[in-house]
Amino acid sequence: MTATDAPPTGLKVDPVTLTVIDNYLATTCREMGIAMMRTAYSPMFNESLDFSCVMFDRFGRMISQAEFCPSQMGTIKFTVEWMIDELGADVYKPGDVIIMNDPYRGSGHIPEHTLLKAVFYEGAIVAFVANCAHLAEPGAKAPGGLSGDATDIFQEGLRLPPLWLQREGVPQEDIWKIIFANHRTPKTTHGDLMAMMGSLNVAERRITSLIDRYGMETYQDATEDLMTIAERRMREEIRAIPDGEYTFKDVIEDDGVSDHPYTVRVRVVVDDDQITCDFTGSSEQAEGPMNGTFAVTASAVYNALMHLTDPTIPRNEGVYRPIHTVAPPGTIVNCEFPAPLVGGNTELSPRITDVIFGALANAIPDRVPASLGGTSCCFLFGGEHPDDGEFYSHFHFEGIGWGGRPRKDGNSQIIVINGNCRNTPVEVFESRYPIRVESYRLLEDSGGPGLNRGGLGIERILTMQTDSITVSAIFNRMTVDPFGLHGGKPGMNSGIYVRFADTLDWRTFTDAFGTESPSKFANLTLRRGDQVKIVAPGGGGWGDPMQRPIERVKADLDEGFITPAAAESLYGVTASQVADGTWNVTPAAGRR
Amino acid sequence: MTAYRIGIDTGGTFTDLVRFDITTGELFSLKVSSSPQEPLQAFIGSLKDSDVPLEGIEGLVHGTTVVTNALITRSGSKVGFICTTGYEDTAYIQRVNRQFLYDLTWDKPTPLLRSRRHCIGVNERVNAKGQVVVPLVLAEIDRVCREIEDGEFEALAVCFLFSYLNTDHERQLAAALRERFSDIPVSVSHEIAPIWREYERSSTVIADAFVKPLIQRYVLSLKAGLLDCGFTKPWSMMKSNGGLMDADAAALNPIQLAMSGPAGGAVASQRISQLLGLDNVVTIDVGGTSADVGLLLNGQITYTTEYEIEWGIPASIPLIDIKTIGAGGGSIAFINTGGFLQVGPQSAGSVPGPICYGCGGTSVTITDANLHLRRLNSAYFNGGKLRLNESLINAGLDDLAGRLDMTPTQLALAVVDIANENMANAIRMVSIEKGHDPRHFALLAFGGAGPLHGAAIAKKLGIPTVVVPPYPGGFCALGLLMGDLRVDKVWTQALRSDRVQPDEVVARFDQIASAAADELHQQGFPGEPTFEYSINMRYLGQNYEMEVAVPALRSGSGVNAASQLCAAYSAFHAKHHSMYQYTMDDAVIEMVSFKVIAIGPIAHPQISNATAAEGESSTVRDVIFGAEGPIPCTIIRRRSMPVNQPISGPMIVEEEGSTTVVEPGMVVTRNEYDILILEVNP
Repeated sequence: MTATDAPPTGLKVDPVTLTVIDNYLATTCREMGIAMMRTAYSPMFNESLDFSCVMFDRFGRMISQAEFCPSQMGTIKFTVEWMIDELGADVYKPGDVIIMNDPYRGSGHIPEHTLLKAVFYEGAIVAFVANCAHLAEPGAKAPGGLSGDATDIFQEGLRLPPLWLQREGVPQEDIWKIIFANHRTPKTTHGDLMAMMGSLNVAERRITSLIDRYGMETYQDATEDLMTIAERRMREEIRAIPDGEYTFKDVIEDDGVSDHPYTVRVRVVVDDDQITCDFTGSSEQAEGPMNGTFAVTASAVYNALMHLTDPTIPRNEGVYRPIHTVAPPGTIVNCEFPAPLVGGNTELSPRITDVIFGALANAIPDRVPASLGGTSCCFLFGGEHPDDGEFYSHFHFEGIGWGGRPRKDGNSQIIVINGNCRNTPVEVFESRYPIRVESYRLLEDSGGPGLNRGGLGIERILTMQTDSITVSAIFNRMTVDPFGLHGGKPGMNSGIYVRFADTLDWRTFTDAFGTESPSKFANLTLRRGDQVKIVAPGGGGWGDPMQRPIERVKADLDEGFITPAAAESLYGVTASQVADGTWNVTPAAGRR
Repeated sequence: MTAYRIGIDTGGTFTDLVRFDITTGELFSLKVSSSPQEPLQAFIGSLKDSDVPLEGIEGLVHGTTVVTNALITRSGSKVGFICTTGYEDTAYIQRVNRQFLYDLTWDKPTPLLRSRRHCIGVNERVNAKGQVVVPLVLAEIDRVCREIEDGEFEALAVCFLFSYLNTDHERQLAAALRERFSDIPVSVSHEIAPIWREYERSSTVIADAFVKPLIQRYVLSLKAGLLDCGFTKPWSMMKSNGGLMDADAAALNPIQLAMSGPAGGAVASQRISQLLGLDNVVTIDVGGTSADVGLLLNGQITYTTEYEIEWGIPASIPLIDIKTIGAGGGSIAFINTGGFLQVGPQSAGSVPGPICYGCGGTSVTITDANLHLRRLNSAYFNGGKLRLNESLINAGLDDLAGRLDMTPTQLALAVVDIANENMANAIRMVSIEKGHDPRHFALLAFGGAGPLHGAAIAKKLGIPTVVVPPYPGGFCALGLLMGDLRVDKVWTQALRSDRVQPDEVVARFDQIASAAADELHQQGFPGEPTFEYSINMRYLGQNYEMEVAVPALRSGSGVNAASQLCAAYSAFHAKHHSMYQYTMDDAVIEMVSFKVIAIGPIAHPQISNATAAEGESSTVRDVIFGAEGPIPCTIIRRRSMPVNQPISGPMIVEEEGSTTVVEPGMVVTRNEYDILILEVNP
């Protein structure tokens, strides 16, 4: 047993003050996010909110977070630990801002840049504030940063070790110049990094005013207590899971470079108030960019277990203490330099939560949902904008169906579990990029049939409005189904298809361009009038669809969530439409 | 003959009426129980109780939570949503993010539509430059009308892509619908909310249609009721932006009434602040179930366009920026799964109400805690109309306290403290989040429970001054009489600072200002309106804009448009810096939309001079303010307080409809306008 596993001792601060300070810190994280949203340049930030704002104590231990992207909040723990470890604890001055994005130093992947600032009070460091944000353009081989066919980290963009972006309030021009020279859209990068720095300023003010109010001792005791409480509550939650070893496996269907699947295997060991997720037996690291670093894997483990435990536990370092991750180096869940890994953070991460959900499905059956659609449907594009000749670059993603739950259906069209991003409004999208969105609709029958149905995916059709545009993609769940549980059926697969101008057929990219993988590719050129169809997968079903109450099958028909054919073949009913467009549904003879 | 103006504010629990005698300036207020099942009853009832001869009523203004409640309880109409083909699922797809993390039981919000089948696509398309890509043809309009006919809708909402840039298709279809379905109200997105982002605009126009039949019936029934009493004059309603609108016009645009209730409070707050010469004020209106927090900056009300009916269901109309949280007298204290004491947002409401009401309530509420701490007078709650029963609350307090290993008094203090902290947090969200330090603000506290908590909240936030206005219980109704007729017009078109022709801006301001004036005249305003002008700006590349006030950029105004635009750019840089501590000095500024507000002023009540009433002496009661336990405290009726004489706390000021707590160490002064001013750290 290590020191951090020691049993919690008594608290120092009264519960009322603790509630207040916990709320205050989370509110501050939210405020940081609002500042970023309102000032940032790229739709990735200001519409999609692909960023996270987090606070750490003076030792670099996380003390608060808010409703941002879970994968970022898990990895930033490692990012900030690494930065402070590498640079030292005492080298910061007021007004310093450090930048870092190196995945081999704890970042999730190259597009995610972390900014760190030490907060001073009466001359001493009292906290670190940080944000981690996905820049749309990190200077990779493909516009938008996610090169589906990258074979090493050097193809994935400009790698920044911890560097001073600003010293004592003065921008470090040399560093900025290097970044601008390597990104395709330097103006956007500038605006976004400024937004990140503004957000740190907001947090800095809030922490000093908190200490003004409560005094240093109470502030420090309270953050300590909050970590203790979080740890204590997490341990209680784990203790409620039956002790034992639970296994599960699933695959990443291919890596964009070679056409074979990679296994993600987990053995979840629940031992009293601790839990270990051991990925021994997972595949060797991939040639293509589907790898995860240890930080990505551990972050996904935290994410999975936080979803399966009480969501009201304060979110800080304490939560992580009873959770352990074993990921053998050189495997897909802990890749070694210089393996490519940009897709690991978007695609491997949900697969890791999937296998942990799968492993615990029988241990805590009343909590575990079936598989969610499990991919970010990353579609990247860039080029010269026909209106002004300036370069643009974008990372587009989709929501997916979530898995059917023990007591209800899965949500339709929600962002993947490792993120909490919004979609980009079509009116913003078309104002920025030379692509028209012809349709954006829910896909009937995409939710996995079940007693509790999986949520629905979507279909989106895009038409290129420019003579040349470079596209790339990283998808999963295209050939391997989002699994159902307890007799529930899988959700519908994802897809990405192309239809060349003046032709009729939708073709896979493998068929049309000869890509190794239909779901992962980079730097293909599309022309004016070419169309792309994106299909986001549905969630798996939970429980036997034949057990689904007939009135819920009827409601799904009435709402167009399922077709009459599916109602008959998968739910065992006979359906006939009545005058107002709704359906009469009766059990089919001998089927239910 | 005496002439009156009447303000009637209908809330969920109480209906407040304020009567203003135009001749003498005298004010009178009245509180009756609301009648949610039969709204007319309390409205007409209060009017009858106010002893006003109807022929003496010069003006009648109504503020109501009927729209808010219909939205929150989802008791609106069957709406058909008509949109660009391919976007039928916009209201169901939403923005795809989650409200809470790690909560697998969370459900995505449902749109205000009753069924996904009620979404009808129309084959038409405008692009991001406002150009028609797919024309809207007559045959398509016919087809859509037939489909609508089959749907048997009670209201229709139309939202086409990019209609904020090009309104042609929406106007064509709306005209056809209004002709073909004259009995079905039609809401059109460019009329309701000409903003970009198709989901937010769709959600807003759906919400408008959702409440339209209801509000039209409501206005009709009030009109009929008034007519029955012999009242035939036009009357107005308060919009969410604090402006007044003729009742018939309001019924055509009901989403504008979403914040009608609390808006009156904001308007009255502005007048009180002007009277005191206060520039920066935080307002808090604490009622039975919720607390509404707002901000006055440089004496001006602040506005937002980010209202949400519930999380994820926006109604993006400009309204007074009021943040509502579940903290009111009836908010319930409980222990959460983590063993922490929490207060609200669940409320005991008025039925069964707090335990001390004696109507069967069993959950400890903020009111119960305040009574235990003896800050409330059991014999003088709502002027003695409701007797509070102190002995009932002990069992509930003991139970909760025992589970937390506290004494009942410690628990009561904690309940009040947590509620105060929640309210202080709401204030932080509207102030600090926007770059304003509450320590430079005064706190204006009203509503039945606002003055009870104001001092403690101010202490938490470092706010130096608390202001309790006259008629704190009926303050929103008073505000109804302080509003002006108002029409807002917006022109949305992105213009860059490096390419803009100042003349084009002037021409557009001319156009929208005259349209706004016309609309004001149509609502019966006879005179010359006053105008306010503003431009929404951002750095080119940003996606969210900030509003910057500009002078009258009108032809013939003598204003140099080019230099005034430069001044506006500087103001934008400064505003950006104050919020985020940085500017982008070399960046192009993008002007996104241009706004004109036309105001038709109306005579407002003046706050009369206060005098100290004779014959009511103060008393003393032991009150608990903190851990030190009960201390003797002066209890005084507000009307008996001497004028302009600072008095040291502790003191409790009682009046009909509210109670003001002055903590030990604070100083309270009742000034010549009957305004109580508390100095927190004298």
